Amino acid sequence: MFKWYLPVIALIFGMMLAYCWYLSIRIDKRFSGRRWSIPSKVYSDTTILYPGQKINRVLFNEKLRNLGYRKVTHTLEEKGELRISTSLMEIYLHDFKVPSRYKEGVPVKIRFDKNRITSIVNLNTGQPMSILELEPEEVMLFFGPKRERRRLVSIDQVPMNVIHAVLAAEDHRFYEHKGLDPRGILRAIYTDLRHGSFKQGGSTITQQLAKNYFLTPKRTLIRKLKELFMSLTMERMYNKNEILEIYLNEIYMGQNGSEAINGIGEASIFYFGKPVEELSLAEAATLGGLIRAPNHYSPYVDKNRCRERRNVVLNAMYKQGWISDEELKTTLPLPVKTVGYDAYRKKAPYFMDYLSDQLTALYSPQDLSSLGLKIYTTLDTQVQTAAESALKKGLETLEESNPALSRTDPQKKLQGAIIVMQPKTGYVLAMVGGRNYSVSQFNRITQARRQPGSAFKPFVYLSGLDQFTPASILSNKPVTYEFDGKEWTPKNYTPMAEKCVTVRDALAKSINLATVDLAMQVGIDHIVKTARSLGFSTPMKPYPSIALGSFEVIPLELARAYCPFAADGVLPFPLALKSVLDENGNILEQRHMIIKEVMTPGKAFLMSSLLQSVVEKGTASSLRELGIAYPVAAKTGTTNDYRDAWFVGYTPDILALIWVGFDDGAPIYATGSKAALPIWADLMNALPQYVSGGWFRMPQGVVRGMICSENRQTAAKDKCPHPMEEYFLADHIPEGYCPIYGHANSFERIINGIKGFFNTF
Amino acid sequence: MGSKAFLIHFKAVIATLVFGSLLILLGCAPSVVKSAPSTSWKTSQDAGGGQKNIEKQRMSPRALAALQLTEQGRMFIENNQPDDAIGILERALNLNPDNGRNYYYLAEAWLMKGNFGQAAQFNRLAQIYLKDDNEWLQRVNLQKERIAEKVR
Repeated sequence: MFKWYLPVIALIFGMMLAYCWYLSIRIDKRFSGRRWSIPSKVYSDTTILYPGQKINRVLFNEKLRNLGYRKVTHTLEEKGELRISTSLMEIYLHDFKVPSRYKEGVPVKIRFDKNRITSIVNLNTGQPMSILELEPEEVMLFFGPKRERRRLVSIDQVPMNVIHAVLAAEDHRFYEHKGLDPRGILRAIYTDLRHGSFKQGGSTITQQLAKNYFLTPKRTLIRKLKELFMSLTMERMYNKNEILEIYLNEIYMGQNGSEAINGIGEASIFYFGKPVEELSLAEAATLGGLIRAPNHYSPYVDKNRCRERRNVVLNAMYKQGWISDEELKTTLPLPVKTVGYDAYRKKAPYFMDYLSDQLTALYSPQDLSSLGLKIYTTLDTQVQTAAESALKKGLETLEESNPALSRTDPQKKLQGAIIVMQPKTGYVLAMVGGRNYSVSQFNRITQARRQPGSAFKPFVYLSGLDQFTPASILSNKPVTYEFDGKEWTPKNYTPMAEKCVTVRDALAKSINLATVDLAMQVGIDHIVKTARSLGFSTPMKPYPSIALGSFEVIPLELARAYCPFAADGVLPFPLALKSVLDENGNILEQRHMIIKEVMTPGKAFLMSSLLQSVVEKGTASSLRELGIAYPVAAKTGTTNDYRDAWFVGYTPDILALIWVGFDDGAPIYATGSKAALPIWADLMNALPQYVSGGWFRMPQGVVRGMICSENRQTAAKDKCPHPMEEYFLADHIPEGYCPIYGHANSFERIINGIKGFFNTF
Repeated sequence: MGSKAFLIHFKAVIATLVFGSLLILLGCAPSVVKSAPSTSWKTSQDAGGGQKNIEKQRMSPRALAALQLTEQGRMFIENNQPDDAIGILERALNLNPDNGRNYYYLAEAWLMKGNFGQAAQFNRLAQIYLKDDNEWLQRVNLQKERIAEKVR
């Protein structure tokens, strides 16, 4: 007998099958490609510590906090714990992986004598360590429009306690049902009927996943049916562990400011500062409890509510037989402990913009916000913090000392910029492109073009080293120069009686007339050529005023041009980006220091020696009063009408450039030594780890000897009354001996001595 | 008394004192031999650098820490991982810019990567920093020859 309803049933069944087939295509398409958009992360460089090193303990403690180390008072038990006392610090290091290296976290003990590390000991072995490397610090994320943070975990990584906590909280029959849990559905229907609306979900983990991935959050019957079909299809396509893994990576777990925390891996770091593998039972249960309403149960919102919810989960786990009676009893009373967090803010924003410009040449913004790349940089966050702080303090001090510098409009305020580099390698350690990034994103280190003033003079003197020695005499008389039909009469910053000065003194005291005299003898074209060889890209014309830094430069290029003095004559390329890795750890891009010889090591050494005189007896002598007691080479710079104040200073280990001025070119009424130098000193005083106190070794091609201070010729041994030490290029040793004292007999020496004495009056 | 007159008077007094003192001193001083004046020009070898300086630096904790990185760099080179070697040697260089071995190994790594220009640059720096270490200088010179061969 024909059953009329059979074709209808067959039709409905066929339609359902077709729908499931359609869904399977959608699911396959979604799951076979990238499942999530993961923002790329930018990291600082690693931090190196060694016994004997001086550190800034305030900045170091901040560094540890940023790395997620949490202070404890008990003996170290877990990775990420930190115990601090006055002269001792115990750190249970995190594991970390950087390109080519994996370091397993061990507990270490660092002993201090004030701010000096006296010893580092591995607490596992009791062995002293000669070097310790801390992991890179996460400094920026390339977010997509959803601003989601996610750290992927595989199901094999996730401890059973975490899996059981999640299942106990959300779907304890997950491994038993086929995507739908009839008992759960009945319970939900009952609850919904009682309340007359869709109150309870009763969804299985598979259903939740289907909803999150493919459907809108709107609660309708149609959506529920779709969810049902999709769950059934998913269960046919994937095994339980695959579904659970996707779920654990997908679920929303809370909020950090404008960022969404997604997945159990990210949540583990956000709430407890440790990878999911290291979670305790209490922490696992806390995370399991969060899933239902992450912000409501968040330990950052209400610890008590969070603890109550966690204990519900623990009891559910116990009920399922997943934890023992003892585990339950010992865990229930535990308080909820979190690692704490800082709301996300873009650190080192100007550095990041500089870096982003390089990255966007390699990757599209979409790739950067979705591929989960790891980007390693040369940034030292301690240096960056010190630079930001020094600039802020320096500018505020200037405004306080001269109210004429204060502006109410934030856009027009006094500005400043700092770049810190390692001169040998070109590593950019820090970059502060302005006073306040939120007010102005204009990067005054990489985008500004400003006159360097006297900060350009070293390149004039460098150009002259083939003809002149540090002891050569330059004219300090006023001269009017004519060029292109125009007259130009340079002046000294302060009037000077001396008609002649040595090359060394002229640079040390930044004497304009003597510098122009040198420039004219050397040839302006030659100076332009020197500047080009040092990487200046801005237009420079062969005008005499170039000797006094009248052509605009980019501050980054000015800092770079000083590097060869500190690097045996080698010009490094400024390096900010070190490597880019994909999410599986494969290296996509790697950059190294690139160097080019631009001057002999002898000339570089001589320039450092000349610039050391700037600090010892010249325009930067106030550095000593500001606590800089070690050898430094430096140059101040001030432009016409006090529009710009500069200070560039370096040691063999570090180089920093400071600029202060107004964007609109208004005067700041202060010289480089008054406005920029104190900022440099403040910065360096905050970075003892970069101060070795060493100086450059005299290279081949340079000789040192005594010359007569009166005539700048080789001093007659035991005869010249005021000999002085000087450096020369080996092929520029003074040819003659001191004519005054060299052949003088005793009587002549006395007469010469008396003459010299009276000449001092 | 005007200031000018005072200055002349003052100069006369000072001259008498200085002249008298010098005469007394001369009476005690040995007679001056009229020979060509001499001074000693110190080169980098005389300047207290040299092997001793290197050894001293090797002993400092900072140099010791840097040497560990240098050693890691060397291992990477042995394992034919020049990029990894360069990365770590750059850190070693930043930590202790005076260790010539870093430059030697950097030259080696660049040689391995086939960038002979950079290899030559680092070899030149190795020569500068290892000039007082005969054993190492020999290696640096051999390396220079190898680079030159590759360039040819």
